Amino acid sequence: MKLGEPVKVVAVFDKGLKPAKFKWRGRVYGIKDITYTWASRDGSAKILHFSVSDGSSLYELAYNQSTLKWSLEEVLP
Amino acid sequence: MTPVIMHVDMNAFFASVEQQANTSLRGKPIAVIGSAQRTVVTTASYEARKFGVKTGMNKAEAKRACPPLIFVIGDNRKYMDTSVCMLEILKSFSPKVEAYSIDEAFVDITGCSSAFGPPSVIAASVKARIRAEIGSLLTCSVGIAPNKLLAKLASDMKKPDGLVIIGEEDVPSLLEGLPVGELWGIGPRLTAQLNAMGIATCGELGRAPASILRERFGIIGERLKDMGQGIYGSVVVPIGQEEEAKSVGHSMTLPADVADRAAIRKYILKLSEMVGARAREHNLKGRKVCLTVRYPDFYTFSRQKTLAEPTNDTRAIYAWVLGILEAIRLRTAVRLLGVSISDMVKSSLQIPLFEEDRARERLLSAMDAVNRSFGGSTITWATLLEEDPWEERSGVISPSWRPEGVKRVNVK
Repeated sequence: MKLGEPVKVVAVFDKGLKPAKFKWRGRVYGIKDITYTWASRDGSAKILHFSVSDGSSLYELAYNQSTLKWSLEEVLP
Repeated sequence: MTPVIMHVDMNAFFASVEQQANTSLRGKPIAVIGSAQRTVVTTASYEARKFGVKTGMNKAEAKRACPPLIFVIGDNRKYMDTSVCMLEILKSFSPKVEAYSIDEAFVDITGCSSAFGPPSVIAASVKARIRAEIGSLLTCSVGIAPNKLLAKLASDMKKPDGLVIIGEEDVPSLLEGLPVGELWGIGPRLTAQLNAMGIATCGELGRAPASILRERFGIIGERLKDMGQGIYGSVVVPIGQEEEAKSVGHSMTLPADVADRAAIRKYILKLSEMVGARAREHNLKGRKVCLTVRYPDFYTFSRQKTLAEPTNDTRAIYAWVLGILEAIRLRTAVRLLGVSISDMVKSSLQIPLFEEDRARERLLSAMDAVNRSFGGSTITWATLLEEDPWEERSGVISPSWRPEGVKRVNVK
């Protein structure tokens, strides 16, 4: 399910940026595993993408380094 | 010093990236496809390959071969970034890294042994770092040999996760019975032509008289003889030092066959804009414009026109290509369209004589600046706003993709 919805994220800066948990539609999801990370560009903005799992579903979080905003891009069951 | 060339070939690259990112896909037969309706398999996982799923199959063929197959729509951004990460790892071993395609690279590791150990240790280090820094499921096959031809042959000899080293002393015995079609650059057509001449193996190719090969194949005849002997002169061309682009082009397989000329014109405008923007980005202009058309039966032809002045102006490219289109009597609907410019020259800094031309240059420059800052087609032609033919489409990335530069890239 493609979303692109804004989310609140608690992240750790330790040898790079690592999301730890996020709040989406009022519910907090703890991140158990970051399965993949990659970067892309939207014009001059660099976007960091994180495939993360809470143990039951897979989510794609994106962090826009220009706007400093997080979004939930996709949810996979 | 004998050159030491390493060829690194990522195994089932797109599929491995998807299996790395999505744990539920691991160990399962998956096929990465484009998002267009008429897409094909770009990469199959090794689990799917066991069922006979191959690159280029359409979805129905792939599903017939492997009923439990899972289709995954590819994400080119993910693969491009992963490719860049892979190249960065290789660059930490040698500055001479050539990005051959999105999932293959040549590295000249001649003289690197004092810093990193013998070639086999360098190969093991590359494999370990790719697994540690990109993903544990990302494996690669590595071939090491005295030249690119043999290094590529070596990496193809053991997949997945292989390491094959070909020393100079191994070359004659290895090539003697090897079918010519196994060599990089000798495709099915050339293989058939060589076989018809009674040349089936590399050993036979290496012994064939140069005069006969030259007579049959022209200037590449002698090169073929050398290849049959494992001799290959082409060196590793580091990223950023590639030859200037010979053409800039884009092509697209349309979502459905199109006969309506107005719709065709819209696709041509979009392709012209993509070509013009990329040529302007790299300060290049082309003296020739070319339109490529493919019919549903895959009959493909191109028509080109030589211009009085080289151009990278979207509207000029569009107008000339439309002129070519108007001169063609299309016999059926169209499956694929392509636009390219060639016979390239560097843009001069000369200011156009007429105000109208100067205004047009300023307009394009402003459009390009906005699109560079805000991405994609933030500003585009009004004709394309109603329904962007590229919207919601993830094209199949071309094998010729490079991390930088202006090499020809086709979006199919």
